[in-house]
Amino acid sequence: MVSMNFSRIVSVLLGSLLLTAIAPAKAGEDIPSFRLECNNGVFKPQKLVVPAAQKFRIDLFNTGTEAIEFESLQLRKEKALNPGGNSFVVIYPLDPGEYKFFDDFHIKVGQGTLVAK
Amino acid sequence: MQNLAQIFFVMWRETVEAMLVVGILHAWLLHHASGKAGIRYLWLGVLMGLGGALLLGLGIEALSTVLSDEGQEIFQSVLQFAAAALIVQMVFWMRRNARNLKKDMEFTLGQRAQEKNWWGVASLAAIAVAREGGETVVFLSSLATGSNSLASPTFWIALGLGVVLAALTFYALQLGGKLISWRLFFKATETMLLMLACALLIGAVERMIGIQIVPALVNQLWDSSALLEDSSVFGGVVSAFTGYRARPSLTILLVFSAYWAGVRWKLLRSR
Repeated sequence: MVSMNFSRIVSVLLGSLLLTAIAPAKAGEDIPSFRLECNNGVFKPQKLVVPAAQKFRIDLFNTGTEAIEFESLQLRKEKALNPGGNSFVVIYPLDPGEYKFFDDFHIKVGQGTLVAK
Repeated sequence: MQNLAQIFFVMWRETVEAMLVVGILHAWLLHHASGKAGIRYLWLGVLMGLGGALLLGLGIEALSTVLSDEGQEIFQSVLQFAAAALIVQMVFWMRRNARNLKKDMEFTLGQRAQEKNWWGVASLAAIAVAREGGETVVFLSSLATGSNSLASPTFWIALGLGVVLAALTFYALQLGGKLISWRLFFKATETMLLMLACALLIGAVERMIGIQIVPALVNQLWDSSALLEDSSVFGGVVSAFTGYRARPSLTILLVFSAYWAGVRWKLLRSR
């Protein structure tokens, strides 16, 4: 009975892969983008101000010598970056307020806030 | 030196979930006299899982270059849903089969039926190890860069320490199974597994909310970060193992409540 579920899980995974292949790539969308650097845990800026009620993009740059992982439970995003690497996360319209983010690989020093207003 | 502790800690956190699954299964098999034959299958499952982890880890890396941001989120989310379902299934499988193992299986059940159970054990272990192992492979390969690369001793020391700590967790579980009353031990580990499955479920739903496939309904019902901040070191561990959120959305609260209501109902039914 476990093997039955195993094949069910595998087919769900394959199905989701097909779904994701169809899901449109939104990289080229025209939305405001904001730069966020992380140097071995230290974010720059530590307080990122963004417009509320609007979809936007955070361009992440690892400017340090160690891997970092941008993570935010409130924004529901996590992204690991190698040193020198860059990537982005797309954030859907937020209510005005403050949202915490952190570097999961340097959790003590790597704390920041995103302010939507 | 601070980063060494960080790597070691994250490494432990990544592997301890798989260790819990394997460790609890192991203790459970040891506890039932006729379960000892199944232990070989457990380790076989672990080996298969390790192989699967490597494939999955490399596959995820490859997929991340091919899939869109949304696609990656969906993929990760599906893996988390599957893992949560698997762990819940494992808990109820153990409860059901405990009764079978109590009777002397060699006489009341045929060889085939016994083997079927053992393959169940092997595949549970294999899937759990493959999934968590896959995450660990991705984590390690992303961590092994820059000044912590494969060439640096820091990485290997941290890796070694992480494995040692995971092994200690495993042995702690075996000891617990022998020293504490079995009923208490099983109840405690069963609860741990169910909390872990809940955390995985919450994580998967949040990803779906993050890409707007599922609505949040109300964005932030409350803020209990004064009690426990989920982005702190300790709070992060609690939230990873229980699904705790300092600022939950309505959807998350509903999922959390529905999960525990459903689990409790099933637990009562399977008595």
